[in-house]
Amino acid sequence: MNIVLIFNLFNGLITGAFYALLALGLALILGLNNTINFAQGAFMALAAYFAYTLAPTVGFWGALLIAPVLAGVLGLVVEVFLIRRLYKRDPLYSLLLTFGLAMIMQDMIRTIWGATGVPLLIPESLGHPLSQTYFFLTGYRLFVVAVALVGTGALFAVLRFTRLGIRIRAGNADLETVSALGVNIYLLRTANFVIGIIFAGVAGILAAGQLGLDPTMGDSLLMPAFVAIVVGGVGSLLGSLMGGLLIGVASGVTTAFFPSASEAVIYLIMGLMLVVRPRGLMGQEGLLE
Amino acid sequence: MHDENKTGGDFDRRDFLKITGAAGLAAVLARPQPTWAASEAPIKIGMVDPITSTFAALGHSEIKGAKFAEAEINKAGGIMGRPLQVLVEDSAGNPGTAVDKSSRLVSQDKVDFLMGTVNSAASLAVSQFAAQHNKLFLCTGGHVDSLTGKECKSTTFRTCSTTWMLTAGDFEAISSKFGKKWYFLTTDYAFGQSEQADYTTQLKKVGGTVVGGALAPVGTTDFSSYLIDVKAKAPQVLCLLLAGNDQVNAMKQIAQFGINKDIAVAGALIELEQLQSLPETARYGWWTMEWYWNQPKTPHVADFVKRFAAANKGEYPTARVWFGYASTYALKLAAEKAKSTETAKVVKAMEGLMLPPEIALQPGNVFYRPQDHQLMLGMFPGHVNPTGKYPSLFDVTEIVPGEKIALPPSETGCMLPRA
Repeated sequence: MNIVLIFNLFNGLITGAFYALLALGLALILGLNNTINFAQGAFMALAAYFAYTLAPTVGFWGALLIAPVLAGVLGLVVEVFLIRRLYKRDPLYSLLLTFGLAMIMQDMIRTIWGATGVPLLIPESLGHPLSQTYFFLTGYRLFVVAVALVGTGALFAVLRFTRLGIRIRAGNADLETVSALGVNIYLLRTANFVIGIIFAGVAGILAAGQLGLDPTMGDSLLMPAFVAIVVGGVGSLLGSLMGGLLIGVASGVTTAFFPSASEAVIYLIMGLMLVVRPRGLMGQEGLLE
Repeated sequence: MHDENKTGGDFDRRDFLKITGAAGLAAVLARPQPTWAASEAPIKIGMVDPITSTFAALGHSEIKGAKFAEAEINKAGGIMGRPLQVLVEDSAGNPGTAVDKSSRLVSQDKVDFLMGTVNSAASLAVSQFAAQHNKLFLCTGGHVDSLTGKECKSTTFRTCSTTWMLTAGDFEAISSKFGKKWYFLTTDYAFGQSEQADYTTQLKKVGGTVVGGALAPVGTTDFSSYLIDVKAKAPQVLCLLLAGNDQVNAMKQIAQFGINKDIAVAGALIELEQLQSLPETARYGWWTMEWYWNQPKTPHVADFVKRFAAANKGEYPTARVWFGYASTYALKLAAEKAKSTETAKVVKAMEGLMLPPEIALQPGNVFYRPQDHQLMLGMFPGHVNPTGKYPSLFDVTEIVPGEKIALPPSETGCMLPRA
């Protein structure tokens, strides 16, 4: 019994890191673009489909590099032609826009690749458990955890120590002043959106390696990402990581005792967080007001 | 800024309308002239099936089958000299939406029959709706026992099997081959619960034990924590009773954790659509198909497969395709037998209706049982072909006639008023 619990704790951390990876791009876009990007899941699925198409020619690793960039290009188009026009309006407008976009993209995927799922192969060497006892530790899952940690760390460093990062953070705090100081905020926001979509792409491809890749894949990935952000605190990347880990562990441990509640528990945590500490674990007070 | 945008938008929209309008007109003009007299009103089937949502792949297959049948029927002169029209609406796998769309099909499109549904919850909802509005509903793909059991309706018929038939199809093979210590990983809604109850009944009968089980919410993506419990309970058989993409997710993760190397993985239903979306390393296990395209000994099947593939870019028909195909033909045959589209008369004609070999596309007697309106279709238990390439992904070990394994009418709990 205890060993099961300990296994579930560790396993929850792995799953949680995966959730955090899903949340990363979303948190970035929410922070500076002030956009609740409902199409994030669709971008994840689309990048995974790109990877599926590219993998036979460039291999899994090649696809993991190229496909997110392709998704990023599409993200660029979407930002420049659609989302940019709505920055001055209530965030509700961009939410509705991206919600519609998500449906269009999902149907587009269905039209191009078919409604039936497709198999995305992962490298043979990663798809095995590392030991008989700790069978839930596969090379692939450890790789996903590494990408989540490195991704969060790198983004954190960029935001903290580079000029671009300082501008992005300044933009978070006070967009008008940053703009008055001569920074091209449109360019800044575009760059931020594209980076967010590239992260979505990486997350989507890694997800498709362990889950089924079908047109609706994005739907099931979007919700844990949102919950991780709300629990971790809007505007804080580190918070999203913590939020992801927290819901991963909670969901894993719940499965050990009462599996049918494994999904409900993450929403319960979110609900409790919103009541007790609305800004989340590490969020700034009143960011979205 | 606001106004400027608006003017620009108007221009675009007008251009767009012009283009689509022209394209639409061209499409209408280019349509082949129907061979029907203008006075012949079409016979309409309203099909409610998921085009979006996690059940979309299966819904699309059923629709393809129905549309294929529609084209064949119309080419051969329609039904009683009238053209057949299959109108499709998206249920998104949601019972509420399924009822809304059924209601629209009945009140606005004035359809003669209702058909469709993939998931059990939607099937039960539409069945109830159809009964209230006195429409014949032919369920294509929702498996829950109660649809032709405790909650059967005189207006409801079903083409796909009951969960009992699904589980009875391969239970013996699995339990004698791998053992009687089972663990159930089950999807947490009507379909999975019904399957689990049926397997448990059969397991108890032969003195087997259930060493553990977990109900996973629909849409579960990460099965790792479930698999930790599976491994701890060390069953001989891991019985996987998940649906749609959940099954694909679980099978991928089981393979990556190497669990299928120590524990036999088996279950009731597997669909060709699911096997198609799995990489080769994650295809394994003992399952039941409800229809399979490769039946070298059954006449008409190879020909059907060829015709369907030719019309669908080389795609092979799946069990879901056959559900849509056989259901559409069943309604045609029943209407012709009744010489009417009136609900009561067609219901009577459907009762006991035997599908001819070129529609049944399997050996044995395939008929809608009059007592509970359940089609007696055969089960195709077997195992995944581990080295197979599409479409040869499954090896059928035997074809079990539906009559042999379906619960006798007295035990289904269905009490239809007998005329």
